[in-house]
Amino acid sequence: MYKLKLDTTILSFLPILILIPLSISLFKNIHLGGIDLFSEFILSAFFPRINSNILITLLNRLSETIFIALTSWFISLVFGTICGLLSSDTTFEILKLPTLISKVIKIILIFIRSIHEVIWGLLLMQIYGINISVAIISICIPYIAINSKVINEQLENINPKIIESISNINGNNLSSLIILIWHPIINTLKNFGIYRLECALRSTTIIGLFGLGGIGTSIYLSFQSLSFRELWTYLWSLGFLIILFNVILKKLGSYFFNSKILITSLFCVLILIIFSLFYFFDFILKPLPEYYYSLNNSFSLNKNFISYDFFKLIYETILLSMTSSALAISLPPVCSLIFINRKGKTLIKGITFLFRLIPPPITILMFLMFNEPSISLAALSLGLYNASITHKLLTFNLDNIKMDQFIAINSMGVAKRIAWLYGLFIKQSKNYLVYCSYRTDILIRETAIIGIIGSVGLGWQLQESISSFALEEILIILLAYSSIVLVGEIINGKIKKNFI
Amino acid sequence: MKKFLIDLKDVSYSFQNSHILRNINLSISEGEKIAVLGQSGAGKTTLISIINGTLKQTNGNYKIFNKNHNTLKREERIKIGTIWQDLRLIEDLSAEQNVNCGLLSRKNFIFAIKNLSNLCSFKEAHKYMEICNLKKTTFNKNIKNISGGQRQRIAIARTLIQEPNILLADEPFNNLDPKLSNTIKDILISKTNTYKFKKPDTVIVSLHRLDLLDGFHRVVGMNNGEIMFNVRMENLKDYHLNKIY
Repeated sequence: MYKLKLDTTILSFLPILILIPLSISLFKNIHLGGIDLFSEFILSAFFPRINSNILITLLNRLSETIFIALTSWFISLVFGTICGLLSSDTTFEILKLPTLISKVIKIILIFIRSIHEVIWGLLLMQIYGINISVAIISICIPYIAINSKVINEQLENINPKIIESISNINGNNLSSLIILIWHPIINTLKNFGIYRLECALRSTTIIGLFGLGGIGTSIYLSFQSLSFRELWTYLWSLGFLIILFNVILKKLGSYFFNSKILITSLFCVLILIIFSLFYFFDFILKPLPEYYYSLNNSFSLNKNFISYDFFKLIYETILLSMTSSALAISLPPVCSLIFINRKGKTLIKGITFLFRLIPPPITILMFLMFNEPSISLAALSLGLYNASITHKLLTFNLDNIKMDQFIAINSMGVAKRIAWLYGLFIKQSKNYLVYCSYRTDILIRETAIIGIIGSVGLGWQLQESISSFALEEILIILLAYSSIVLVGEIINGKIKKNFI
Repeated sequence: MKKFLIDLKDVSYSFQNSHILRNINLSISEGEKIAVLGQSGAGKTTLISIINGTLKQTNGNYKIFNKNHNTLKREERIKIGTIWQDLRLIEDLSAEQNVNCGLLSRKNFIFAIKNLSNLCSFKEAHKYMEICNLKKTTFNKNIKNISGGQRQRIAIARTLIQEPNILLADEPFNNLDPKLSNTIKDILISKTNTYKFKKPDTVIVSLHRLDLLDGFHRVVGMNNGEIMFNVRMENLKDYHLNKIY
């Protein structure tokens, strides 16, 4: 009798089985009503429209996007680091303060993190109206919490023996803290911080789709008016912007953290903290518009709200999260294995770039042209978007891996795909799954935005409740969301612990 | 003109302006057992890497099976097995799964997946592990949890299960005690075949220990990337060894 052993390599491929029920469901829901429209959408990619009006709109929207993304990225990095420090038990242990404070901060941050920036945007938009500050703050709030989690994890991973040895020197507590946290923080900012800018750009685009400004708003408006050529002008420009940002930051990153620039940056950070705090308090303490109070008082919780339907929505959200996670995890290795030659790799890189570029709400709208709204369709859109991100990481890691094992397997005359599997992927599968579990945390939050557009899960109900200013309902839905995210994070945490 | 199985003519290899191999001339016929001696850094590993095709010579001409290595068909590449100095075992797999990797060239993709899921037969793997003096308790142990000597033998078993015609072994006796080294050497090069498995015909072994030279047909001495001597075993004298040590 052989005992089945599910190692990380098999676990990376196994979720692909979800494609069987997913394909059946999608096939059942096919309609041909929008095929012409879909082919027009695809063809327009090759002929983006360029005229003076579009160029002026494009420049305005791009500068808005850059401003929102850069500001929210920088603020969230700085405050994320501070919150990461404050939520870490290590910090309080070194400073010899009660760790209860860090635990309370951690719980608050979990709640903040569990709500997607679009939801924060929609909530703040209902209260403060449409303006750039709302866009920046709605990205900053969850991003600060996400960055703080990453910083926190790095600090919690500091070897306790090193902490003990530094503490035994009996120096100033603050000096000990700085010595211990400096490198983990700088390394995290260096590796993770740069990647967050691309995320901020994508988030700016996504919240723009919901009317909060930037290029996303133009993308959504041109999609609604079926001006696909115009839409592609915006999408390609956004793609160019993302590539440009990555190139600049990679160049900057190499000497940003190890020269006099660092001191200047720290000074800028200090000014930014003071400025941001002033701005934030001014924003919060500003009197709310009168219509807000009148609407708030006229709505109360519908007694039938927590009913069978509500639990069905929770079930749908969980199902959506699980299905799209399965796709996000398994599609990249499966595609890499199938398209192993250079041409295939380039093709997959191109397709994944497009899926990263097109915001998931637009992807689902595109799919709705030939498929009925369903959980499967929402899962496909969200899964493809996230798979394109996990694929990017996988290929980056595989390109930078030591080739010795691959050479050894390949020299035996083994088939190319088997050599890839045993010589390359097997070495990377553990790290890949750990990253996927991080991605799943984010993906659960993203079900909200897909739900809004795709009419599934809690996201759809949230949109309805926000539109009708039903604050009690919103609160219940947000609590339900937080609980799902929290459970997801606990499960993922356990998985990560098993792998590391 | 005699055709050799392996034929290197004026082969040189340079990396980042440093000459690692210089004008190597070495011809090996089928069935020969060759020992390559030399200090660390003499170029033994590079020579083996050129023969198995993982490195390409920067100058000179190299033929194996009378062809350039990059034109070899898959069936021909299968016939070359290598025991690597750094072993190159897969850390996340068990000992038996690692040994089964040697079968990957002869089996299909389903076998590869079954091996990863622990659902394939390990009968053949166990046979070769026993040949290499590995105890049953190590069979399903994770590679991370076993000693250096056992890892060495797992790497040897992985190459033997491949049933290569040409065996290239880069310091295969590292981590092994004198008794085990002799046993493994017999498995690799002696004509006696107690375990009835397909032995490699042609063997090239790089090694440091002179006490293990017995049984080889020819000894090649290397120093500073050059072949200092290439003599039949019975003609090996101290002054040869003085050239390399």
